Amino acid sequence: MYNTRVRGVLIKGNKSLKDVTQDVLRPMDAPMPRWWYVTAFLAISAMIWGVWGFYNTISTGIGTWGLNNNVAWGWAIINFVWWIGIGHAGTAFSIFLLILRQKWRTSINRAAEAMTIFAVMAAGLFPLIHMGRIWDGFFIFPYWNTRGPLWDNFNSPLFWDVVAISTYLTASFLFWYLGMIPDFATIRETTASKIKKKIYGVMSFGWLGNARSWLRFETAALLLGGLAAPLVVSVHSIVSMDFAVSVIPGWHTTIFPPYFVIGAIFSGFGMVLTLMIVLRKLYKFNDYVTDGHLEAIARILTFISLIMGSAYLIELFTAWYSGNEYELFTFLKNRVTGEYTFAYWSMLTCNAIIPQLFWFKKIRKNITMVFIISLFINIGMWFERYVIVVTSLSRDFLPATWATYEPTITEVAVFAGTIGLFVMGVISFFRWIPTIAISEVKSVLKETTTLKSFTDED
Amino acid sequence: MKTNILGVYDDEHDILHAVDKLQDGGIPVKDVFSPFPMHHVWEKLNLTTRLPYATFIYGVVGGIMTFALLYWTSVVSYPLKFGGKPLNTLSFIIIMFVITILIGTIFTAATFFIRQKLWPGKESKLPDGRSADDKFVLVVEKTEGMPEEEVTKIKDLLTETGAVEVNESNVDYED
Repeated sequence: MYNTRVRGVLIKGNKSLKDVTQDVLRPMDAPMPRWWYVTAFLAISAMIWGVWGFYNTISTGIGTWGLNNNVAWGWAIINFVWWIGIGHAGTAFSIFLLILRQKWRTSINRAAEAMTIFAVMAAGLFPLIHMGRIWDGFFIFPYWNTRGPLWDNFNSPLFWDVVAISTYLTASFLFWYLGMIPDFATIRETTASKIKKKIYGVMSFGWLGNARSWLRFETAALLLGGLAAPLVVSVHSIVSMDFAVSVIPGWHTTIFPPYFVIGAIFSGFGMVLTLMIVLRKLYKFNDYVTDGHLEAIARILTFISLIMGSAYLIELFTAWYSGNEYELFTFLKNRVTGEYTFAYWSMLTCNAIIPQLFWFKKIRKNITMVFIISLFINIGMWFERYVIVVTSLSRDFLPATWATYEPTITEVAVFAGTIGLFVMGVISFFRWIPTIAISEVKSVLKETTTLKSFTDED
Repeated sequence: MKTNILGVYDDEHDILHAVDKLQDGGIPVKDVFSPFPMHHVWEKLNLTTRLPYATFIYGVVGGIMTFALLYWTSVVSYPLKFGGKPLNTLSFIIIMFVITILIGTIFTAATFFIRQKLWPGKESKLPDGRSADDKFVLVVEKTEGMPEEEVTKIKDLLTETGAVEVNESNVDYED
């Protein structure tokens, strides 16, 4: 009853089960490639620069950033929202597609989940240092204290944010790790190296793979997936409320929660596309991550891009229709023609216009083009957050308090550091963890390569 | 010492038919090891799990406890007005929603690991290690004092149904 029909061939090359194990594990046994060292060197350099940025921020204070009384949120929040958005792909991919029983997810979900974990970790660093006094960070926990006891403000979107993101990270990590246990057992049983056998043996938790353990495993995976699925919608809705609950023109709109969620899935899928193209090229996974997979993501992106475009238009329309002069100023004047007009038009071009090129089959089939467009999506989504945060804050109600914002070198360093962290995480994942969910691919192998499922004979 | 008779299969369909055949012949199939989940095996071995009920209870209890914490801290222990909003507000629902998921997730995972007796570094031996790679292994328990004809009959049946190897194993794994 669980054998959902699959369209077309998912795994090419008539693989046997053994081929799958060997193909996925081969890169882990190969000698360390040169690209790995080069990338690791760059990533660690960026991280060191980032640590300098962190140190500067914490030892001197938030004054090292380009913030001022009016533009009180700058790159930190922009990058935080950007990373969280990217971090939405893992859940969107594996959990939604798991619940919808979309089998094509099997070769991509592991990498998408890994990306989620590292992106959310990178995102989490920004609020952490934005507190200024990081050593007082534990104030966020509702613990019995001598200040009253004074509790958290449970109605503050900023508090919701902390709760939502920690939950998201925990749930994603548990789901990710649970899925890897059978694969670690596969390494334990197949590897020739004693050290590997030991390490992956510990990590596999003594997994057996008999009927009962598979039953419980799959039930647990579905339950964790089902529990985490609402988080896809809730996390970024809550992030959007950081803005929407305030009264700044351009932020105080009801469109924000759905608009942010769609944007997050958009940037997440964009990043998945970027990474999968790289992974597939490096490890020659063309039989597993087929052109069909990439095309499926490209099609989804085209659709989401249309939603993004309509969201931008609706923002403009609502501003005009409201007749509110502040709204009119923010949307129709400041953003479109104001000081940050470059960011606005970059956002519009990258998110709403360039992905429309995917309508052409020629472009969808051209992997280089797909890769370039996926990069544009990542950039466009960064500009979207920049537009939302900076244009609204720099030109609010009173012209007397108008201010401009330029990031300082410290902010750039912190951002570079988080990129380094993300890249380092991703390449470590590429190296030491099976990048494709072996057992999941095996379970769809038969029905998708020979197009004949068990139920046909039964 | 417990001994098991193992039938090693190459193909998932063969092993499913083998389970049928054995059960039809009145031979109890003890277990099936496979590289991926096989739903048909669970049906045939009559395996069920109550994990979803546990998750539901965790969710309900977690939700109630979260509300209790929010209510007690904001209304009873230190009632402090924020922006003229009521002390007991509808917006508690957001924290309740998220924490319910958090509690459900953590406890479901914990229940799975405890019930399945999995922990980091647990040593476990598979009757046939290849079942983690590309083989499907059917296990029939060789009970104490099982007559030799019975053993031969089982082994023949396994070979007949397409087993590429028929072995005996002393590995005593914990189910």
